[in-house]
Amino acid sequence: MVSSISLSIDSDLDKVSLLARAVRALCEDMLSPDDQDAVELSLVEAINNVIKHGYHGERGKDVQVAVGLQADQVVIEVIDHAPPMPAQVLDNASEDRFNFDETDLADIPEGGMGLALIRMNMDEVEYRSNESENRLRMVKRIAPPVGKSLT
Amino acid sequence: MLSTDLRENVLVVRVEEKRIDASKAPAFKDEMTRCIEAGQNQIVLDLSQVDFIDSSGLGALVTCLKRLGPKGSLAVAGATGAVSRLFTLTRMDRVFALHPNVDAAVEQLSA
Repeated sequence: MVSSISLSIDSDLDKVSLLARAVRALCEDMLSPDDQDAVELSLVEAINNVIKHGYHGERGKDVQVAVGLQADQVVIEVIDHAPPMPAQVLDNASEDRFNFDETDLADIPEGGMGLALIRMNMDEVEYRSNESENRLRMVKRIAPPVGKSLT
Repeated sequence: MLSTDLRENVLVVRVEEKRIDASKAPAFKDEMTRCIEAGQNQIVLDLSQVDFIDSSGLGALVTCLKRLGPKGSLAVAGATGAVSRLFTLTRMDRVFALHPNVDAAVEQLSA
């Protein structure tokens, strides 16, 4: 089974949840509830980044999401036409973001967590830019049924 | 988006939205800031109606905690599913005391 669908929204933060819920529903039969949560959060973070940092909050810009449902994985691509994000921003994002000192109020992060969360929630994350578009590709692998791998 | 209830000097703030995301985080911060500036520094945040929080929402909670300062407390009640997992994944469960329900959180804060 391979199928794909493209969805798009205007660059408006109020519209992100609608798209996220639609994509979650598409994955419902393929992913566990925890993995649906992971995909929904990653997608929301990716689109928020495009709207806030790519388009600087400006409405009326296009955000496209391509969802590919494959036998062994769900592939989600977020496509935008904003100035590209510097490559090292994604490279440097990791769970280290959450190695803060919880006893020091000033050290607890209020932002800059989105890309780290995407990397922690998805199995593959890749960012590509060319002259016409930026494309963040996120893959969630489908876990094999428990207990059947050894038989 | 918030409703409040004062119980034993603890302000219980209930979030009446299903999602605290980037579109809702600014309003959430504003409403919480009003509670804090009104003098409340023992706050229980009831998230039992919330089924999704993104990093903007989580960041807004941290902002509120910082506004409360070291003498204040912000405890979380009723976080389940994806919301509860986000706290664990980001290690914010070390920052916010998570309680199964409002009663348990109020008891802890008023003790």
